[in-house]
Amino acid sequence: MKGTRYVLTALGVFLGLLVMLATSGTDRALAHKEKHTLEQLKAFDEVFMEQVKIGDLLFHGDGATEKKLRVTLSKTGMACAMCHPFGSDNHPYEFPKFQEQINKFATLRDMINWCIEKPNEGVKIDPDGDAMKALETYIYWSNRGSKLDPGRH
Amino acid sequence: MDDHDRLELAREKAMRAWWRKARSCSEVKRTRREMDEELRKPGERPDSSLAITRRIFLHKSLLAGAAAGAATYGWFPLVNTLDLAFGAETFKFAWVSDNHLYPKNVNTRFVDKATRAVKEVQAMSPPADFLIHGGDLAQLGDPVELDLGNNILKEAKIRKVYIPGEHDWYLDMGAKWQQLFGPPNWTFDHKGVRFVGLDTVSRGPDYWTAKKMTAKERMGHMATLDGSVAGAWAGVGRDQLEWLNRTLSNWPKGNPIVIFSHNPLYEYYPPWNFWVRDWREVHEVLKPYTNVTNVHGHTHQALYNEIGKMRSIGMLATSWTWPYAPEGVPALTKCLVRVDPGDHFDGVGWSRLTMTAAEKIENEYVMWRKKDILAEAPWDSGCGDNMNQVLSPRIADREWPYYGSYK
Repeated sequence: MKGTRYVLTALGVFLGLLVMLATSGTDRALAHKEKHTLEQLKAFDEVFMEQVKIGDLLFHGDGATEKKLRVTLSKTGMACAMCHPFGSDNHPYEFPKFQEQINKFATLRDMINWCIEKPNEGVKIDPDGDAMKALETYIYWSNRGSKLDPGRH
Repeated sequence: MDDHDRLELAREKAMRAWWRKARSCSEVKRTRREMDEELRKPGERPDSSLAITRRIFLHKSLLAGAAAGAATYGWFPLVNTLDLAFGAETFKFAWVSDNHLYPKNVNTRFVDKATRAVKEVQAMSPPADFLIHGGDLAQLGDPVELDLGNNILKEAKIRKVYIPGEHDWYLDMGAKWQQLFGPPNWTFDHKGVRFVGLDTVSRGPDYWTAKKMTAKERMGHMATLDGSVAGAWAGVGRDQLEWLNRTLSNWPKGNPIVIFSHNPLYEYYPPWNFWVRDWREVHEVLKPYTNVTNVHGHTHQALYNEIGKMRSIGMLATSWTWPYAPEGVPALTKCLVRVDPGDHFDGVGWSRLTMTAAEKIENEYVMWRKKDILAEAPWDSGCGDNMNQVLSPRIADREWPYYGSYK
């Protein structure tokens, strides 16, 4: 009786392992991860590029987008792109670093807010809000391919 | 090796790497080399009277040794000296451009700086023979902005001549600008120099009719330097090239010619219209002449280039500084130190140009901050600093209904 129980248990474990190995592979069985489908990758890209577009609009002073996100990036009529065409001279690949204008160790978001407040005379935005994420997305996207060099002045 | 030596070695390596990259081949450099080889045969070079002296890019305070007064005022001119032989008498003229005025109830900082520049021009002693306004008086071509600018310029009681910028033109296709300032291209002779004003902005391809844009939308897209919609608008045009050819045809080939244009008369960076699209044809017209200087605006930065036998000097804006383009900065340019974004008086100004009987023409960038403005090390330079940078054109303005132009 006891012997039969042992055999049955061992057989059950063996069969269970066989099923797992056959259906999902050894590593995925351990990592609990699914392959990405092409549709999923396309969806991720669409979400990303939508943020790039919103960030682009904000960066270029689109009033309708600012109103929609309830931000005021400038009160002087100026837009970020007027000093940073194509997102140039932003150097997002150098952050975080000591930023002398702010006189502290800063992230890109800190610098974005400084620019909004000081040169643009706008109203600082929520550093974790949708507008900041969109601006950051556009700036990084526009500078993609640049060599990462954090801390560089 | 101690820490100091290691730091020096690292600095030296960084400088050598930066220069290697600066000299590396690119499409723009190859195009310029080919054009230069076409325009300047072996053994030829610009007129020997047009010699860049070592005074170029030297800080005037070092030469004059009398920095105390300038330091008090906060004004350090930068002297860019060209030697020009024409045997005429000494005279000065001033260049002011790229004021980008908004109505006063929107933005006063550009008004303040334009006003300061014009007052300083008026205060020149001896007085300037004339003031050339190099375009972009207004920001969005609004008659309010143009009238505001005209009133500011009236503070200069000397003779004034004007060429348009794209920001002046595309709201009403130049109607108000021409009403105020006359024809957009012209020529006059003055003390042995033939001065030519070229219109490089009004012949942009029509991007608005098919898309049924309003005048403000058209102007908004044109006002976006890095926009995708207005396209390669900068050009001289066939009709104006023929006019230029006729204008210069009776001028002695070795006598000085100064051509004012809003855009540079060579290819610097087309995506931002830092060029004219028919620059090759311009140089074909200028080929016989050995003494041509182009003075231009639009780029809002100190620039110097030679192509063929023509020299080209970029003027500063009074409004703000553009970054140096990611590629195409002429090798002869000494770039400005990166501008302080917290100080809107930094990196801007106007120019005082002197033509002397001692066969020199001096361009003095009159700037409003007391500091060394020319970069020596790559990490200070507006050009060298961007060697690490890869950029992408924007996308949002390519989607219907063409969002994102300035309103």
